[in-house]
Amino acid sequence: MAETVRDAVIIGGNRIPFARAHGAYAKASNQDMLTSALNGLVARFGLQGQQLGAVAGGAVMKHSKNFNLVRESVLGTPLDPKTPAYDVQMACATGTEAIGSLANKIKLGQIDSAIGGGVDSISDAPIVVTDELRSILMEANRAKTMGQRLKALAKIRPGHLAPQAPDTGEPRTGLSMGEHMAVTAHQWEISRQEQDELAVASHQNLAAAYDEGFFDDLVTPFKGLSRDNNMRADSSIEKLAKLSPVFGRDLGDAATMTAANSTPLTDGASAVLLGSEEWADSHDLPKLANFVDYEQGAVDFVDGAEGLLMAPAYAAARMLKRNGLTFQDFEYFEIHEAFASTVLAQMKAWESEEFCKNKLGLDAPLGSIDRSRLNVTGSSLAAGHPFAATGGRIIAALAKLLHGKPGKLGFISVCAAGGQGITAIIEGR
Amino acid sequence: MTPATPIELPDLGSLYRRAALEAARSKLSANGTLKALPKAPVVAAHPGITEDQAEQYRTLFAGEAFDGVYRSSLPSTLIHIAGFPVQMALMSQDDFPLPLLGMVHLSNEVHHHKPIAVGTPLQMLARAQNLAPHRRGTQTELVIEVYPGDAAVDTAGADQLLYSSISTYLGMGTYLFSEDEAASPQREEFVPPQKTGLWTLGADAGRQYAAVSGDYNPIHLTGLTAKLLGQKQAIVHGMYSAARMLEGREPETAGHRWSITFEAPIALPGKVAFAAEHIDEKTQRFVGWNPRKRRRHFTGELVLP
Repeated sequence: MAETVRDAVIIGGNRIPFARAHGAYAKASNQDMLTSALNGLVARFGLQGQQLGAVAGGAVMKHSKNFNLVRESVLGTPLDPKTPAYDVQMACATGTEAIGSLANKIKLGQIDSAIGGGVDSISDAPIVVTDELRSILMEANRAKTMGQRLKALAKIRPGHLAPQAPDTGEPRTGLSMGEHMAVTAHQWEISRQEQDELAVASHQNLAAAYDEGFFDDLVTPFKGLSRDNNMRADSSIEKLAKLSPVFGRDLGDAATMTAANSTPLTDGASAVLLGSEEWADSHDLPKLANFVDYEQGAVDFVDGAEGLLMAPAYAAARMLKRNGLTFQDFEYFEIHEAFASTVLAQMKAWESEEFCKNKLGLDAPLGSIDRSRLNVTGSSLAAGHPFAATGGRIIAALAKLLHGKPGKLGFISVCAAGGQGITAIIEGR
Repeated sequence: MTPATPIELPDLGSLYRRAALEAARSKLSANGTLKALPKAPVVAAHPGITEDQAEQYRTLFAGEAFDGVYRSSLPSTLIHIAGFPVQMALMSQDDFPLPLLGMVHLSNEVHHHKPIAVGTPLQMLARAQNLAPHRRGTQTELVIEVYPGDAAVDTAGADQLLYSSISTYLGMGTYLFSEDEAASPQREEFVPPQKTGLWTLGADAGRQYAAVSGDYNPIHLTGLTAKLLGQKQAIVHGMYSAARMLEGREPETAGHRWSITFEAPIALPGKVAFAAEHIDEKTQRFVGWNPRKRRRHFTGELVLP
């Protein structure tokens, strides 16, 4: 790092428990959830009445009325209303992108403090009218006379009235994210057994972390929930082995992806407090870790040249090179479990001499990741994955893990729709 | 070569109505008696594809906008749509030996020589060639050639040709030749490749393409009208598959060639698994199939200049 750039410090985080869609948070909106996560953070760090440098975050599934989602959420908290806020959107990498770019502003001295995060609700997803109906309604809206208006409205047909819910299909391929991942998992020969093992480890690690009180200062209750309700502490390989595949079923016996080794649709919100060293000190706040660096990546997935969720494999190589690091330099790894096979395919790619040479342009493979250092307090398979809230969940947990271990590094990888992804490095203090 | 007969750009609806009347009057599947194709091509002036048509087309296929700056070369399939009524007029002539209704589109080969933009006046020439036996009837090739509006079509050189296509059709059940003249089919085992896309086609996919193309062939519209023509369900237009296969892949400067060969028809509603594969820098191959039944719907190829 250049000498003119100062540290961006992760002070702490807060999230509400993540809830399976159409369950505990069925009646909560994105704004309700984000406001609650922010309120918890404000209360934990005594930020009432304070004017922060910026609050940034977003939601992947957003109603058009929520054009200023983060600002409206901030106005609902005890933060000083003079705190600017803005929305960010990069699919499942939204939270990580929001936090990474805020960290950059702090490093450059543009701001001294910030909150980054995200929220998503499947239960309150924006259902819209068909393109045909919208076009007719807009035409009626533009009409200058009653006659013109009636003429436009007369075009409405029963078929136009069906509500349109958003789906997880990639617009340019028509394949759902799970179907894309099934192709990649098949290409990398990721076995069902490996995926189920990773899923079980995620549930067991998350449950153990809750039992140890690890989340006591990372999670505040919401709507009667105090733990992620997707978590199954008693999950076992035997139970998971009984499930039928839900993605890649056209692969027949080679289909491996089930509802248990894929993340469920989830509602939830998270927020992370960042500041400069001086700001943290002057407010007598903890300094868990530094946000060191982050890198975005994107791949050409449309005709299958690369897997939809493989962008972090490329971003990681560039980020490690820029920082002169290898995987051996990291204490902990947080690889977002969009699907168990996403994590396993990325790790196999980094181990592959051919992939690292031909695709990443490296002389030697990046190497393997020690499983005992991977997602040690659980990840999305157990906690769930409210798209934009996942970055905040990961960064807050990893910063806490690295606290008290000065100089120890943590690695983050988050894949995203549209063939994108983000990787990040944080350093304990 | 026999000079082309100039005609007015016909209305597809009236051609289909006439074809339906004829089918009711005589035969849908009876053997024809004429053993030759019309010698004279037909040609019609086309005022140019309108901005509205281009916009309707691109809305259906979710392509990039024809903004006239970064995208103005119209897709091959839209040019085919514009020329199709002229081809239909030829096929509706009394001396055309195969009945119009119930014709099955087998394949298409296109050479898109030069870019064609919105509003460019065109001349559409259609001719028929190569009447030949097929194990399920009689097949023939229909050629569409597209020239600039001011070209002298009968004497125009190849350098004036903007677009040419050869569509092969089967007149199902119309045996103009003895059956043993037809080559026996070679059935190869189809092993689905790794899919790169999935098309989810609603029950109205045929009606939507009909609204854009004007091709209201009843076989594509509803289950009931399709049953009358011997299909169990409505099937999607062959050119819908071609359009979707090509969307976003045709070069702005044209000069490319592509082809598509149809196999099992795509019943509506339905899902089509799709794979696009780069063979070399200039060549892409495509295949579409039914992911459940593992039956192939089409294979295609695009070769850039």
